[in-house]
Amino acid sequence: MSPARTTTCPFCGLLCDDLEVDPADAKRAPRNACARGRDAYESLAAVDGPPQVAGRAVGLDAALDAAAALLRPLRRPLIGGLDVDIAGMRAILALARHLGAVVDHVSAAKQRNLRALQEFGAITTTFSEVRNRADLLLLVGDGWHRRFPRFIERIVAVDSDLFGPPSRRRIVTLNPIGRDTKAALPQDALHLALDVVPEQLPVLIGMLTAMVDDRPVDPRRSGAVAPALLERCVAWMREARYGVVVWTAADLEGSHAELTVQAITRCIRVLNGATRFAAMPLAGTDGDLTANAVQTWQSGVGLPACYGDGRVVADPERFASPAVLARGEADALIWVSSLGQAAIPAFDAGPTIVFGRADRVFDRSPDVFVPVATPGVDAAGHLVRGDKVVTLRLPAVRASDRPSVATALRGLLDRLGPPC
Amino acid sequence: MLTRLEGVRIIDPAHRAGGAVRDLYFRDRTIVAAPRDDEPVDRTWDCRGMIAMAGAIDLHTHIGGGKVNLARALLPEFAAAAPVPATDRCAPCTAGPAPSALATGYRYAAMGYTACFEPAMLPVNARQAHFEMGDTPIVDKGAYALLGNDDFLLRLLAGGAERQEIADYVGWTLHATQAMAIKVVNAGGISAFKFNQRSLDVDEAHVHYGITPRRVIAALARAVHDLGVPHPLHVHCSNLGVPGNVDSTLATIEAAEGLPIHLTHLQFHSYGSEGDRKFSSAAARVAEVVNASPHVTVDVGQIMFGQTVTCSGDSMMQHRNARHGRPPKWIVMDIECDAGCGVVPFRYRDRDFVNALQWAIGLELFLLVEDPWRIFLTTDHPNGGPFWSYPHLIKLLMDRSFRNDVLARIHPDAAALSNLRSITREYTLDEIATMTRAAPAQILGLTDRGHLGVGAAADIVVYEPHPDPEVMFAAPRHVFKDGVLVAERGEIRAVTRGSLHTVKPDFDRGIERKLEPWFARYQTQSMHSFVIGDDEVCECGHSARLIAHRCVRHG
Ligand code: SF4
Ligand SMILES: [Zn+2]
Repeated sequence: MSPARTTTCPFCGLLCDDLEVDPADAKRAPRNACARGRDAYESLAAVDGPPQVAGRAVGLDAALDAAAALLRPLRRPLIGGLDVDIAGMRAILALARHLGAVVDHVSAAKQRNLRALQEFGAITTTFSEVRNRADLLLLVGDGWHRRFPRFIERIVAVDSDLFGPPSRRRIVTLNPIGRDTKAALPQDALHLALDVVPEQLPVLIGMLTAMVDDRPVDPRRSGAVAPALLERCVAWMREARYGVVVWTAADLEGSHAELTVQAITRCIRVLNGATRFAAMPLAGTDGDLTANAVQTWQSGVGLPACYGDGRVVADPERFASPAVLARGEADALIWVSSLGQAAIPAFDAGPTIVFGRADRVFDRSPDVFVPVATPGVDAAGHLVRGDKVVTLRLPAVRASDRPSVATALRGLLDRLGPPC
Repeated sequence: MLTRLEGVRIIDPAHRAGGAVRDLYFRDRTIVAAPRDDEPVDRTWDCRGMIAMAGAIDLHTHIGGGKVNLARALLPEFAAAAPVPATDRCAPCTAGPAPSALATGYRYAAMGYTACFEPAMLPVNARQAHFEMGDTPIVDKGAYALLGNDDFLLRLLAGGAERQEIADYVGWTLHATQAMAIKVVNAGGISAFKFNQRSLDVDEAHVHYGITPRRVIAALARAVHDLGVPHPLHVHCSNLGVPGNVDSTLATIEAAEGLPIHLTHLQFHSYGSEGDRKFSSAAARVAEVVNASPHVTVDVGQIMFGQTVTCSGDSMMQHRNARHGRPPKWIVMDIECDAGCGVVPFRYRDRDFVNALQWAIGLELFLLVEDPWRIFLTTDHPNGGPFWSYPHLIKLLMDRSFRNDVLARIHPDAAALSNLRSITREYTLDEIATMTRAAPAQILGLTDRGHLGVGAAADIVVYEPHPDPEVMFAAPRHVFKDGVLVAERGEIRAVTRGSLHTVKPDFDRGIERKLEPWFARYQTQSMHSFVIGDDEVCECGHSARLIAHRCVRHG
């Protein structure tokens, strides 16, 4: 029996690369995967459907022929999903240029980080720095364990002796009231819980910033959080040699989302006047960082963007897919998605063509469905990890005849011929 | 296919061919000798009255990798204002201060550049850098891997590791990241910043490791030399941008202990602290030392007036200088026990005393360093200004009266403090060809580039002479890349894929017995995940050719 092969999990931004494939049965979920990862691996192993045209099984060539025939006369398709690997995103952009399409990623959440970045900038850090260096963590919301199941195990609950004997980490949770996250924390950490309603986060973080900066604050504004707890938190922040504020943009909702990210950014800037502090906006799930990175380096602008009229224009409001659909501007919906299972928006103004995971189920059959390989499962691929800096190659763990997104889209582009 | 460039004036400093007029031949992708009389020529280009040079080589330009992409993301307003519309050959993109990969390839090629080297590839970010370079069309690429702030090396040094072991680690890194050379940025300082040190002088100890930048530079210069990597250690000195940093720059030269060393964007490191404003030019002092030190090469990092963005691995100094940035938004990152980065937009203004003096200091360096084989034309793109300002920069070097006209418009106190007006030197065409072709090829070990000899790659630029060198260099008549006509008069004619240049020095794989547990214990990816294979890196470049250059081991 050959030794267990290690592989890398594509199902959240952590891209855990310590998974072990069962050499006897590649269809089993790899060892070390969390429940989220296991479910996805198993769900993908359980299905093996052919491409479909209007709900009827066809071969890949016939499906691509049908897609090309539908798209050829159209002027302004919307390409959504975009939860794909780097090669897939390169192919999507080639298709978008050919068709003059609008492109938008399924998770708009990232925009909240990006907009604050574009206004102020940021001081950020990466997983290995957190793992070895952070002596204080401020965990905002609860996405760090709900959406990134092994974050604590792989990054935080590790006693690193890289810079000397490990000390007990201090952890402050800025928890949504009613969602206890204590059980998810490492047992030996020193813990301080500041329970807040999410709407109050910007104010609370602003108060912490002011206190660090020795400016007066109005204690009545701290809501449910006792002033003594705030004082304690500020003392910890000042004592930290390397503090890190962790949040997941996908968690922050409503008008306070952007304000929260801005408040964190400002707070970290102030703290860096005297000590070292950095932000860790967790992301990377469903290829959000990957799609944005490829679009940004190829074109110089981010997502969402429009490739119409021989130009590329990015505009987070105007080209967000819900807005494009609401204005009736799209004449076709091309959904390209090899990682996640997010719902495809309802669309009636033209054909819907889906390049999706093989285990996707539809309420209503799209005009064309091409099941595609998932990077890291049945095809190799590259994804950008949740801290933005590391790009990993995900090997395939099992053989399959499903085409990768890149292969399928190249087939479609070949059929579309030279641009009109 | 055999092609003839008929009756062209050859400017080829590598062969001391300064101006001979003859026919130049290439077959497919290679320059060949004149064929026998009976051999048919497939295509002849009438180049009478024109000038041929080898394709230009930029040995220090930030074209790809995380910090460049962060810079793009940070400044959407400038990208939106600089659209590059599609043509029948080119895809639509933008060219803001941090231009897109597509625009970078198109513009370099249209300007007669055929190879560009990304000088600051963080090892943990190497894959992304290769993907971005892979999406940069037409030109050849290569990258320098950043070492000297990574905890693995600093630990080795602090533990008194043997010279051999350090060389093995450096060799391993070059292989694993598919790099062309090694660069060190603010040796030890980026790491020290993570420990809350805010500056680190050449002989100051790192607060945790207790070692000095001098030690780091000496060790890396030695390792690069031992491995026989053609390009010497590429050094971004300590104290970037700080008045008075000339002392640390000269100390850095000393630190190499006589081994070859390349000092990059020297302009940012040639500052004195004299005068009322405690900011003065130390270009003359630096140039004197460089002139007397044959083992030293430099590039300038000239600043150009206008909006740009600085992308640097030097998180320590970028954080410190961020308050001078415009518009006031900036990014600093601590990265993976490996490195760091900082992105700060700048608007250099000719009426600003400091900026005006920086501009003058750069030109002083160009004009006072005597040997064009040891000084290279860079703006440290985009840090000092965009690479498409090179034709303007060449004019400043070749035309003294033009230079003095600009000098008359800058901040008068800066002009008065500079000795630029008294410098009469004007670069010749031959010297420009040396510093943009022959010399960078030589210092990088690119034996078949940078010249027009038989056997060289057919990377050839044909210029129409013009009294204004800016006009001549901005839009060459023909640009051939590996024998393919890729641009004419500034328009792209064919979009090809350039090759990737790397080095593969010999080293002892036994170092992996230390690296594997290091990754397992302290990193958040395995050693196996970290290493980029040959097939993989070619895939990053859309099946790009991989050219591995020879290393001749010393010691
Ligand atoms: S934490 Fe994320 S990457 Fe790791 S196994 Fe779970 S889903 Fe996969
Ligand atoms: Zn540089």
